[in-house]
Amino acid sequence: MGITRRRFLGCAAGAVTMGLPGLPLDLWRPGQASVAVETSPQHGRSGESVSGYESALASLGPRFRCAGASWVSRCAVLIVPAALELPPSAARAIVRCLQAGASVILESGAGFAAGRDFHAHRVVLRDYLQVRVEAPVQLWPAHTSSQGIPYVDYTWPYSAKVRDFSRVVTLGRQPGEVIAWVDGLPVALKRRSGRGTLIFLGSPLGPALWAGDAEARRWLFDVLARQGVAPVDRVRGNL
Amino acid sequence: MKKAIGDNMISKAWGFEKGLDLVKQAGFDGIELWLGDVPWFQMSTADSEVRDLRRKIEDAGLVVSNVSTGLHWASPLSSREPKVRAQAMRIVEREIETAVLLGTDAILLVPGLVTAEVPYNEVYQRCLEALRSLGEKAARASVRIGCENCNAEHRFLISPREFWQFLNDVNSPAVGIHLDVGNIHDTGFAEQWIEMHGPRITRIHVKDVMKKRGRCGDQSVYTNLFLGDNNWPAIRGAMTKVGYDGWLVAEMEARYRYAPDQQFYDTARAMDRLIAARL
Repeated sequence: MGITRRRFLGCAAGAVTMGLPGLPLDLWRPGQASVAVETSPQHGRSGESVSGYESALASLGPRFRCAGASWVSRCAVLIVPAALELPPSAARAIVRCLQAGASVILESGAGFAAGRDFHAHRVVLRDYLQVRVEAPVQLWPAHTSSQGIPYVDYTWPYSAKVRDFSRVVTLGRQPGEVIAWVDGLPVALKRRSGRGTLIFLGSPLGPALWAGDAEARRWLFDVLARQGVAPVDRVRGNL
Repeated sequence: MKKAIGDNMISKAWGFEKGLDLVKQAGFDGIELWLGDVPWFQMSTADSEVRDLRRKIEDAGLVVSNVSTGLHWASPLSSREPKVRAQAMRIVEREIETAVLLGTDAILLVPGLVTAEVPYNEVYQRCLEALRSLGEKAARASVRIGCENCNAEHRFLISPREFWQFLNDVNSPAVGIHLDVGNIHDTGFAEQWIEMHGPRITRIHVKDVMKKRGRCGDQSVYTNLFLGDNNWPAIRGAMTKVGYDGWLVAEMEARYRYAPDQQFYDTARAMDRLIAARL
C-alpha cells in the first residue's frame, strides 16, 4: 500500500497551518495543528500504519495535520508512523522538532524489513537519534506452541496491553526509560532529547489503530493528553 | 443454468486432454480452471500457453466457467507481511488476466484468513482495502470477483449478514460472492445465503456436507451431491426465487476410491436433477 502523490501534496499543503511548538493548547488559534503525522513517501512504508494514525487523530479536527518531512519542524507532537528508510532530511527534521521541545513518537516499520533495509534503518536511528535497536524478532512461532498471545505490555503512560504485530524491533541497552515489553523483550523507549521527548515504538501501533483497537487508541490519546494536545475526556472510556 | 466441474478433479495421471474428454462425455458444459492447483495452469504459465489451454477446451466442446485458485491459503490477502500481500494481489491480477484470455467473466478468491496471529478486525480491514483496489482492476477487464464463503476454514465472514456487510463496504459491482453451498456446514442454511446475496452471486459451487461429521483425520466433512445434509429442494427453490441462472460448479473434495471417472458421470447426473428441480 503506497501513498499517492495527490494525498501527499494535500497533506503537505495542510501542514502550512501548523502552529508553534510549546504553546499551551488554549493559545492555539483555530486552524493550527498541534499534532503532525509525518507522511512523506518512504520505500517500504506501511500505509496501514499511516492510515491508522490519521483515522485515530481525525477527531482532533484542526489541531491535527499530516505533513511531509520538510513541514514537521513546528508542532507540539510529531508522529512518524512505520518509519523504515528514513531519509537524512527526515531524520534531521525529527531532531529539529526534538530540539524545539516537541514530543516525537517514532514507530519502527522494520519488523518485516529485509536485511539491507533493516541495516539502513538501524544506522539512521543510531546516528541521528542515538537509538540502538536489535534485529527483528518473530513472536509467533513460539506462541503457536505455548498458546498465548504476545501482547505488548505498555507501562507508560499507563498500563495497557496492545496486540502484537507478529515481529518486533527490540531495543539494545541505552539511556532512557523502557515503556513496553513483550515476552520479556524491551520494545519501546521514552527519553528526553533536546528540549523534547522521544518515544520510540519497536512494535507498530498504527495497524492496531487502523483495525479499530480501542486499547491502542486509548494509549495514544493518553500520551497526547500528557503532552497537552488531547482533551483528557477523550482518554478514558469516551472514545 | 449450466454445469461445470473443476479441473482439479482431473487425475494428474490422465492429463488435461483426456480429462477434458471425460468432462465432456459426462455431460458438463464447462470447466473451472484452478490457477496453481494443477500442473497445466500455474502462475508461471505464459499467456500463449493459457491461449493453448483455451483452444483445447473449446476443441473438446467446452467453455471455461470461471478461474479459481487455492493459492490464497498460503498467500492470503490478509497477511501482515507486505511481500506476502503483494504476492496475493499478483495472484488475483493473474486470475483476472487469464480469465480474459480464457473467455470467462468470473474469478474466485478466498478473501482472507483469520488466524490466532492475525485477528478478525485486521483481516476485515486489509481485505476491504485489497478488494476495493482489485475491484477496479476487475471492472476494467469486465470480470467479476467472487469471494468464496469458506466459513469454518477461513474463520472469516461466517454469517450471511457479515458477508453482505463486507460486500457493502467494498461497494464495487465487480466484487460479489462465489457461493459454496457446501461450506456453510452447521453454521446456517445455504438457501438463506442465496436469498440474501441474490444478484451478487457470481458462481455457485455445489457439493454436499455431512453436518455432524466435522473434520476428523482424513475423513472429509464433504460428500457427493444428495448424500449429505444440504436441503437441496430449498437450495433449488432459493435459486429460482432470486433468478439465479448462472453456472453451477461441482467441487468435490473426496474422490471415488475406485472407478474415479464414474464420479464425473454421477455428479453430472445429480446436477441435471438439481437444475431440473426433480428432487
